[in-house]
Formats: sequence, C-alpha cells, structure tokens
Amino acid sequence: MWRYFTSRLLQIPIVLLIISLMIFVLVYVAGDPVAMMLPAEATQKEIQTLRIALGFDQPFYIQFWNYITDLVRGDFGESYKYGVSAIGLVLERLPATLELATASMIMAIIIAVPLGIISALKPNGIIDLFATGLSALGKAIPNFWLGIMLILVFAVNLKMMPVSGTGSWKHIILPAITLGTAVSAEITRLVRSNMLEILQQDFIRTARSKGQKKSVIIFRHAFRNSLVPVITITILQMASLVGGSLITEMIFSWPGLGQLIIQAVYDKDLPIIQAAVFVTAVMILLLNLATDVLYRFLDPRIKYS
Amino acid sequence: MSKKIFYLMIAALMVVLSACTTTSSPSGEGTTSSTGTEDNNVLTVSLGPDMLTWDIHNHTTTATEAIHVNVFDYLLMRDTDGEIQPHLAKEWKQIDDTTYEFKLTEGVKFHNGDDLTAEDVKFTLERVATDETLKSHGDFDTIKEVKVIDPLTFQIITHEPDPMLISRISRQASGILPKKYIEEKGMDEFLKSPIGSGPYKFKEWKKDSQITLVKNDDYFGKKGEWAEVLFRAIPEDSTRVAELLTDNVNIIANVPPSDWKRINDSDNSEIANGPSNRTYMLFLRTQEGWPTSDVKVRQAIDYAIDDKALVESLLDGGGTPTLTRVNPGNVGFEESLYDTYNYDVDKAKKLLEEAGYKDGLKIELAGPTGRYIKDREVMQLIAGMLEEAGIHTEMNLLQWSSFTELRDQEKFKEGYLIALGSSFFDAGQALDYYGTERSATINGYSNKEIDKLLQEANTSLDPAVRTAKYQEIQKIASVETPIVPLFQVDQFFGVSDGIQYTPRLDELIYIPDVNKK
Repeated sequence: MWRYFTSRLLQIPIVLLIISLMIFVLVYVAGDPVAMMLPAEATQKEIQTLRIALGFDQPFYIQFWNYITDLVRGDFGESYKYGVSAIGLVLERLPATLELATASMIMAIIIAVPLGIISALKPNGIIDLFATGLSALGKAIPNFWLGIMLILVFAVNLKMMPVSGTGSWKHIILPAITLGTAVSAEITRLVRSNMLEILQQDFIRTARSKGQKKSVIIFRHAFRNSLVPVITITILQMASLVGGSLITEMIFSWPGLGQLIIQAVYDKDLPIIQAAVFVTAVMILLLNLATDVLYRFLDPRIKYS
Repeated sequence: MSKKIFYLMIAALMVVLSACTTTSSPSGEGTTSSTGTEDNNVLTVSLGPDMLTWDIHNHTTTATEAIHVNVFDYLLMRDTDGEIQPHLAKEWKQIDDTTYEFKLTEGVKFHNGDDLTAEDVKFTLERVATDETLKSHGDFDTIKEVKVIDPLTFQIITHEPDPMLISRISRQASGILPKKYIEEKGMDEFLKSPIGSGPYKFKEWKKDSQITLVKNDDYFGKKGEWAEVLFRAIPEDSTRVAELLTDNVNIIANVPPSDWKRINDSDNSEIANGPSNRTYMLFLRTQEGWPTSDVKVRQAIDYAIDDKALVESLLDGGGTPTLTRVNPGNVGFEESLYDTYNYDVDKAKKLLEEAGYKDGLKIELAGPTGRYIKDREVMQLIAGMLEEAGIHTEMNLLQWSSFTELRDQEKFKEGYLIALGSSFFDAGQALDYYGTERSATINGYSNKEIDKLLQEANTSLDPAVRTAKYQEIQKIASVETPIVPLFQVDQFFGVSDGIQYTPRLDELIYIPDVNKK
C-alpha cells in the first residue's frame, strides 16, 4: 500500500515536467508573442527592439534551456503582458476558482443525490422520468448558453440575483448553477443506477425480510454501498470543475483562473499558461490520488499492489 | 414511510444550503455591483477586461490608459475635441531644433502630499526613453534627455528635430510618476499602491474584478463630481450589457451592435456614440507578381466597395466613409478626402478590363474576427461587393493572434483588412505607412515623391509646412491606393440615463468630464 502511494507521488514531478515541456513546445510552435504585445500600429523596428530585449530572438534551444533551468528552480517567469510574476498571478486567482468549484459541487450534490435516490426507489415513476429528462438536458445544455439565460431571467428580468461579479453570497448562485448543472446530471444518473443495482441484491432482500425499516434499508444498506463509485466520480468531476470553469468565469466576470487563462492563451503569454496549467495539473493529480485513497478507505476489499 | 424520507431530505437540503451560503460568501466586505447606482456619488464604469498594470509605460491598451489618465496627469492634455491644452505644463516654447522648454503649474501635489517638480518629469520621461524592455519605449525613444532648469522649469532635448514631440507627451503613457515615492518604496511597491497627481486617487484593485478610485479633493485642475469611481472587469459583452440594464453599471464600453436597440429601447439607458480615431482599411500588396501590384486593380477594388453601405447596414450609420486615414482633429487633415468615397461598379469593371482581367480575378483577403466591431461582417460584405465587380474573393478570417502572426510574418496573400488608430493625432504617424521603409515590411509600396514629402514633413518644425506636405501625400495616396481607407468608425458606449457623457476622440474616460444630468 505505502509503496504504491510513494510510487504514485514520485510520478507526479515526472508528469508535471512532461506537461511543462509539451506546453513550451506548443506555445513556441504557436508563434512569437512579441507582435501581440505591441499595438497593431507598432513598427517593425519597435517589435524587433522588444523582441531582442525580451530574448525572443534567441534560437529555440537557448530559449528552451533558459526555460527549463528557470522551471526547475520553480521560476515561471514574469507575465509578458502584466509584467509581474506569473505564478503569483495564478495563485492570486486560484481561491476564487476553488470557491466557485466547491459551491458548484455542493449544489450539484444537493440536487443530484436526493433526485438519484428517489428515482431509483420508483423506477419509471414520474419523478424518475423527470430526473432522467433533467439529467439528459443538464448534460446537453452548453454552459455558455445556460449562463446567459440565467442572467437574463434571474438578474435582468426578475432582478432576484446580481448579474455578475463577486461580493455577496448571492453572487455565487448563478455561476454555481451554470457550472454545476452538467456535474449534477452525471451524479444523478450514477446514484440512480447504483442504487437500482444494489436494491436488487440479496442482502437488501434479506434486510427487507428481516422487517427492517425502509429508511434503514435505503440509507444504511443501499446508499452507503452505492457511495464508492459516486465519490470517485464526484472527486474526478471536481477536478474537471477546476479546469473547466473558464467559460463560466468569463460570463459571470468571476475573478478566477478562467479569465486569466483565456486571455493568456489569446496573448500567447507563456509564463501564465505554464503556471496555470502547472497548478491545475497539480490539483488534478492530487485529486486523483485522493480518490484512490478514499476508495480504499471506503471499501477495504480493494487492494493496491 | 416514503413521505418521511422525502421530508428528511428536504430538511437535509435546507441545512446544507444554509451552510453553503455562509461558507461560500467571500471574505471581502463586498461592495461590487449593488452599490453602483444606489449611492449617487459612486460612478461605475466597465470597459471590458481588467486593466493590465499600474506601470504607465508597460502596456499599450486604451482600456488601461483610460483608468491611468484619472490617476496620473499628462504634461499637456487634449480636450474633448482633441485640441491640446496646458495641463501640468502651463506654458512651453521651442528653444532650438532639438530643445523645448516647459514651465510647470505651481502647487501641484502628488496624492501623498509631495510637490510635483521638474525632477519627477525627468525621472519619468528618461525612464521610458531609455528602458528598451518597456512597451511604450518606442513612442518616446526620440527623447535624449530632460534637463532640469529649476524646480518648475525643464527642457526636453531630442536626438533629432522631433515635430511630433508635443503630440508625444500629450497621449498614452505621458503621465508623470512620483520620483521620490518610487525611489523610496521601489517599483514593485509602487505598482501595488500607486500614487499620481490626478483627479482621482487609487484605493483598491481586486484583480479581474474591480478597481476603486476616490476623489482627490486637493486636485489642482477640474475636479470630478463623483466621490468614488469603480472600474469593473466584465469581459463578456452580453454580461456588460445586462449590468447596464440592471443599473449596476453606469457606463459600458464596446457595446456590440446586436445590443444597441435593446439599450436604446430600455427605460434606463441609451447608446452614446462619437467618432474614434480608428479607420477600417484594406492593405493591398504592391510587390511584383501580385495582381494588386497593378494600380488599376487596386483602384477597381476601391471603386467596387460601397463604403457608405458598410457603415449604414452594419454600423447603423456609426461611422464616416473616407478616402484617407487622417481624421478630423489630426495634424495634416485633408478635408476634401473625408466624408466621401469612391463607388462605381461599372468603373471598377472597366478598370479591371484595362488591367487585363476581363474574365474576372481571384484574390484572397485576410481579416481578423472579433477584434473590431463587425469585422467579420465587414469582410463578408466586401467580398460580396467585390464579387459583383468581377473580383472573386477568398476570405481568410482569423482569430487576432493568428492574424497578427500572419501580418507580422507577411504570410497574407493580396491583402488584409485592419482598423488602425493613430494615437499621436498626427499625420506623421498615420502616413508613415506610405513610406518605402515602413511599407517594405507591409505591402511593399514605394513612391519617391511620397518619400520626399514625408522626409520634408517629418523634419520640419513648422506646422503649416508639415500640414501642406501631409495633405499632398494623402492626395497622391488616394489615387494610388496601396491602402484603401474604408470608413472612420465610431465608438459605442452604453450610458445610464442620469449621466452626461460624450465619448472622447482618444477613447479615454476622463472622469472630470463625466457629469450628473
């Protein structure tokens, strides 16, 4: 067990290094960022002066070497556009993204778990059909559309919610629904199918025949046993929420990583892209590891070798 | 039993929901949108994305400058009509070909109470003139040094005669920095809590969220009406419009045309538009081997495009057709070429025939998408108009960074669409594009007469001489058409009803000019 986790932990730096190298190559191939940094009116001389000043006239292998040596020292460099430490910019915005992802996940679970359980108790009943339809919709609706619609209905027309920004607890509700809908749909279906499967099993029948209370059967026996895959998916979805909140953050002017990353990609701002992908990758790797640990904790039958 | 479960779940849901609302509220005290118009002493503005930096010399975006201009004062400043007026410098004179002498207004203080002196001017201008890594360096590298005569008098000495010097120090990146404060605290600290001498003081910057400025009650010039100004970062167009319609933001920039009607029809806001110094134009290749190297083909393209129709149908009339990119308010403006255009499909066909393309011509034009108002639609309409004249046009529409690369590396084919501004308000900057040297890396245009006129205009310090030469260049260029100017475009703001705001030609938002109705 410990050997397994140590080796998993040791893999992390290697994965991160490979990711970093891939990003450098991709951004390098995407072209020279200097022309993007200056206005469209800049002369070739101005572009060239800045190119030399920032070292973009150096051959690939020198730029690559500088990049690697800085990276190993943990230095992601300064953002081309903002002129300050890239990792600082990323870490500054990370809490907002985590906050939004957490709120979305909580909202998704609140909706999905009860809905999944009720659906499973009465398969093909009205609630089940409603839940199935809702989760199909939830998966299918693109979140940029959902976000704009929520703003139109709840902020512009009903004036119940703020349109965008941060500041009060109300500000997080619409973005959390936008981001959490797809995840919620996923979890609903998973809870439903797991519950259905478990409710058919012998030990449930035994419990029933023993005359146990229905609530005990559902929560203690069935739901607990269906939790393992649900938790796995939930944590994995959390990782996708952190990485996938870009569009939602843009729509709701949420000051997280999303706005920063999208703009950095447009501007070919390598240090920011690098730092942001690095931080996101670390989180995803750690969440994956956490899933494995929890898995074992919840189901002692699972063994790692 | 199942009912019990249901109630239990509802109860659980309530508990979690209430926990959620307390944990998810951010720790900050939270002022954002809701206070926007509740307090009528607070003005909330959204220009789109967040500003980049407080380093006035290390950015090149108008949206960032629009905020800086309220915190830092320029030596000279343009009024709403684009005329240069005294500001920090109350008077100036030319000493010789390379020296200008300026006198500062007395009693100007930085926000920390320090006096603004000639030493601050020297520190600021020499920083940007010598540091090649700064993005504004290229706009100030004609400055050799700043000589301090006394605390309120200084001379700017240029490497060579610089007829554009006055324009240079009354535009983007011309704010004056506090030397003593920066030297004591360091640049990093300054960027975290900047001070200037402007009408508003910096209070707080929540990155990608909002910037708060408060009124400078000791300001030497025209004071603002608003006690506090919030600049909110709202990059998404539709969200920005929604914030305006719900009274959370008072002024929004870059309103997409699809929302103009919605805003004008609303009962709380309207569109305010005014000319910008930006002109849509087609750059055409003139190098041998391209069909557009033939002046007749270029003219045919000019005659095939109905500039007026572009403005009317796509921009709701928010622009002015033109045959020059030097607009009113710029040094060297040639009136006969403005608010007019060439459109005659028969003539275009005839010109094509004369050029040997009786059976039609195929060209490819590149253009950016999502960079300028309706850029994609302008290109599509142009392609349709050209088709009618017998020029089949392939469109290569690209996202801005790909377009920039295509342009920078000269990978485009016959030409491309671009909308360039001219932040110097001087034909010297705009017409440089017709000179052999600059054109060599753009469309290869070369005309000895224009080169000679440019040389004379760029070295003369007599404004009348310069204007005459620049006007002559524009007349030649409008016939030669290596660049086909299409129209000067307006800027479109959404403004709350209680606010009086006229867009400035330089696209800045100078808060002392934003009034309550």
